[in-house]
Amino acid sequence: MPNTIRLVLLLLLCIFFQYSSAQTKRTLSGNVTDAKTGETLIGASVRLTGGNTAASLTNAYGFYSLIISEGKYEVAVSFIGYKTTIKEVDISKDLRLNFALEEDNQLNEVVISATKKNENVSSPQMGLQKLSVREINDVPVLLGERDVLKTLQLLPGIKSAGEGNSGFYVRGGATDQNLILLDEAPVYNASHLLGFFSTFNSDAIKDVSVYKGGMPAQYGGRLASVLDIKMNDGNRKEFTAEGGIGLISSRLKVEGPIVKDKGSFMLSARRTYMDLFFKLSSDSSISNNTLFFYDLNAKANYQLDDKNTIYLSGYFGRDKLGIADAFGFNWGNATVTLRWNHLYSNKLFSNTSLIYSNYNYVIQNMMEDNNFKVNSSIKDFNLKQDFDYRLSNDHSLKFGLNVIHHTIAPGKLSADESSSVNPTTFENRKGLESAMYVSDEWAVNERFNLVYGFRLSSFSLLGPGNFKSYDADGNTISSKYYGSKAVVKSYFNLEPRLSASYQLNPSSAIKGAYTRNVQNIHLMSNSTSTSPTDLYIMNSNHVKPEIADQVATGFFKNFNDDKYEFSAEIYYKWMQNQIEYRSGTDLRGNGNVEADLLFGDGRAYGIELFLKKRFGRFNGWIGYTFSRTERQFDTLNEGKWFYAKQDRTHDISLVGIYKASPRWTFSSVFVYNTGNAVTYPSGKYEINGNTAFYYKEKNGYRTPAYHRLDVAATLEGKPGKKLQSSWSFGIYNVYNRQNAFSIDFKDNPDDPTRTEVVRTTLFGIIPSVTWNFKF
Amino acid sequence: MKKIKLYIGLIMIFLFTACEQVIELKLEEATPLVVIDGGISDQNEVQRIKISKTYSFTEPNKFNGASGAKVVLGIDGTGSIVFTEVSPGIYQSVKFRGKSGSKYDISVTLEGQTYKASSVMPVRVPMDSLTFKSYNLFGETKNYVAVNYRDPAGVANQYRYILRFKGVVEKDVVSEDRFDDGNKVTNVIFYELNDLIKGDSIQVEIQCIDRNVYRYFYSLGQNSGGGGPPVAPANPPSNFSNGALGVFSAYTSSIRTALIK
Repeated sequence: MPNTIRLVLLLLLCIFFQYSSAQTKRTLSGNVTDAKTGETLIGASVRLTGGNTAASLTNAYGFYSLIISEGKYEVAVSFIGYKTTIKEVDISKDLRLNFALEEDNQLNEVVISATKKNENVSSPQMGLQKLSVREINDVPVLLGERDVLKTLQLLPGIKSAGEGNSGFYVRGGATDQNLILLDEAPVYNASHLLGFFSTFNSDAIKDVSVYKGGMPAQYGGRLASVLDIKMNDGNRKEFTAEGGIGLISSRLKVEGPIVKDKGSFMLSARRTYMDLFFKLSSDSSISNNTLFFYDLNAKANYQLDDKNTIYLSGYFGRDKLGIADAFGFNWGNATVTLRWNHLYSNKLFSNTSLIYSNYNYVIQNMMEDNNFKVNSSIKDFNLKQDFDYRLSNDHSLKFGLNVIHHTIAPGKLSADESSSVNPTTFENRKGLESAMYVSDEWAVNERFNLVYGFRLSSFSLLGPGNFKSYDADGNTISSKYYGSKAVVKSYFNLEPRLSASYQLNPSSAIKGAYTRNVQNIHLMSNSTSTSPTDLYIMNSNHVKPEIADQVATGFFKNFNDDKYEFSAEIYYKWMQNQIEYRSGTDLRGNGNVEADLLFGDGRAYGIELFLKKRFGRFNGWIGYTFSRTERQFDTLNEGKWFYAKQDRTHDISLVGIYKASPRWTFSSVFVYNTGNAVTYPSGKYEINGNTAFYYKEKNGYRTPAYHRLDVAATLEGKPGKKLQSSWSFGIYNVYNRQNAFSIDFKDNPDDPTRTEVVRTTLFGIIPSVTWNFKF
Repeated sequence: MKKIKLYIGLIMIFLFTACEQVIELKLEEATPLVVIDGGISDQNEVQRIKISKTYSFTEPNKFNGASGAKVVLGIDGTGSIVFTEVSPGIYQSVKFRGKSGSKYDISVTLEGQTYKASSVMPVRVPMDSLTFKSYNLFGETKNYVAVNYRDPAGVANQYRYILRFKGVVEKDVVSEDRFDDGNKVTNVIFYELNDLIKGDSIQVEIQCIDRNVYRYFYSLGQNSGGGGPPVAPANPPSNFSNGALGVFSAYTSSIRTALIK
């Protein structure tokens, strides 16, 4: 491995050397924004027209930089959903040039030859899926609650972790192997109400990208995917408000300039009101109950001068449940991101982020004789320094550092004197995750593009506390006390990242990627679904970093003037130090949880096909995934490979959006997937007069196939009014398919001599209506 | 934390109309395996070991007794008691009383295979009383019975509660003293008494069991979603060698009966 580092460093040195002498070139740089709102546009294409190859995409802050020789040019800036803007420039010195793009509201995309719409083909990036907020808003969803995570699950390679569940599996990864970032802050529990809704209020979201493979080197820390969500910056031009009233929740967003064209703010809130119906009851045992969640997104930015911009963003969300005076349970995330964008030169863009992230839950039992309260949390302080350096037209460098300090409080149990429960506190665990990365995007020639680099990551488990080590059977071998800040155990990993594309012709390309990902913190969950009380643990003497190596290759083609996009990707992934649990493991309040863990290998492979119609009155996509995910543990399933619980052979999704008239939009979703691997009985027996089941093979059965059709219609209000409003109508599960949420085996209550199979269906046909407004 | 299941249920009821339906599912028929279920109590009584085999899921529930086994019990490495088969699969000892602190080794030989397990009888913790508990949730009052006892301080104790109604085991659950060591404990057994009528009686047994037996029954309960979110099911960790299912437990027993008034 050190050889790989040396090789990469050598390559990078060569590039520096080669281009430090190229002095006759000039830099054209600037920002691309939405003309109406002043929002920066991420991933907009800036290129020279004619035979020039110089091109750049705006970064996460809307910044671009091109290096060109002196002379006269035409610069074309384009972004999907916006009109292409073309400006003439005379380059005799370094130039700052900002572009403001007008939204394109026409039904049929006007094809402008200068527009570069085949970024998906020409970029060396693969395994990347993007969703536009428009798509999120148009696709039908459960109870009319627009949901980023559920819409993502309609893309190939991203699978739902269960009916109505916002948890997802990417290329054989578990739900905790997804790095979910909201304005760079990790979100530890991205779901509300036991997974039925995600924590991301689509009003507040600007950009959604998912990396299923070929993760760029600036991302790390999870095995399977990176979901990078960016919040809206807020309107820099004028004050606006928008919102909606739906069946289960209401939303409101206000945004506007702090100083016109200099700074703006955005505030967005959502709250469900299921429990408000309880209040209508005269029965105090009903009206005293609580059940709701809320989300609050806030962001502000201010441009100090044309070289410095600061951003402050935060997210606060919480679920609250209360059963009269007996029981209370609440959980939620808080994240805060403070960022400073600085231009060192027209070529060197820097972003410094200070990030705080916290997830916690509180359970309170108020029953008199065994009252107790449990507090548990995971808290991060995170410093990130990222640089974008435009070396030349052919080389664009990204490098940076990241340090995260984790504090996990597994649980503090407190109780009154009168309670039968003893106050107990589990030791906090602290860890330091650090990483440095370098990567270079290199346009080798007109056809061949390469992104190569590495990420060097380390993890240290820190004191204070008692740390144990265990043998393979989970018996404690030793226990040792470490003082504050003492290093208990460290791990270092080199993660090479490489992706390449070869353009066969202007509209098609083949790509390949190799990525290593390392994960140092692990979610403990042995239940069939995730729970808000699931706990994270870090690497230790006993728990090793999870490692995944993925190779992928794919074919990408656009046709009909880039109206259609097609991709086929194949991947194979090897995983080490995967985690399973001994049978009978109790994860609740278990200070010795490591003793119950089992470690083994995983492998996953699959093929993903994607065909999308990108423009026009009718657009949408078809996705198909074939995949396999298996695991091997010496002490499980007789040491034989078994299907992981996320294994599912076929997944099909169809999404159609039809703009019938300027006011009516219709959309529909159909999903079909074959069953997940699951353990069912292969026999039964009696223990103390009760029926028990015999499980022959781990995950040897399949759940029944799942399919569902949803439809939605949106009616926009008459245009031209000050208050714009729209109605969204939806029907979830149109043909009332009885999909299995769970399958249980139990004795027939009327005839205890028979055992039966009981299927529980959660969502039959469910209509919804939402009223949205904007002014 | 036992309430987690309850609140999941509440959410589902309030948000959605969850629908249950009996379905047909083709299940594999595994080759029958040996199941041994038995124990030694601290009561002066005939001790019983039940040996059976697994059978097809589709068959009516039964005790699929296995005859002809040789069952031998060793006590603290000395002396041995041979069990005799009294009906197919039921093996009994002569009357004797197990002792706390003694180690019991059982050896079962059936069809040429020998299965062994051992269990140490824990210290006896007597039940003080049974009390009734009712909870008023969402306008409905539910009645349960609770077991009261004082947990001995400073030692890890595991308990098993068996609730019988008209001689049938209705609830068989376990608990441990991880969070209430040394305290006066009131443990509610979540078997709904609402349908019982005046004059009915329920019998509750509290057993003190060893760690491995606790783990076995805890795991068995997890498979059916008892005491928390359901886990991916697996065969509970048996203390028998050689791949037999079931568990062998040396336990203390304390039984009380509650009359519905």
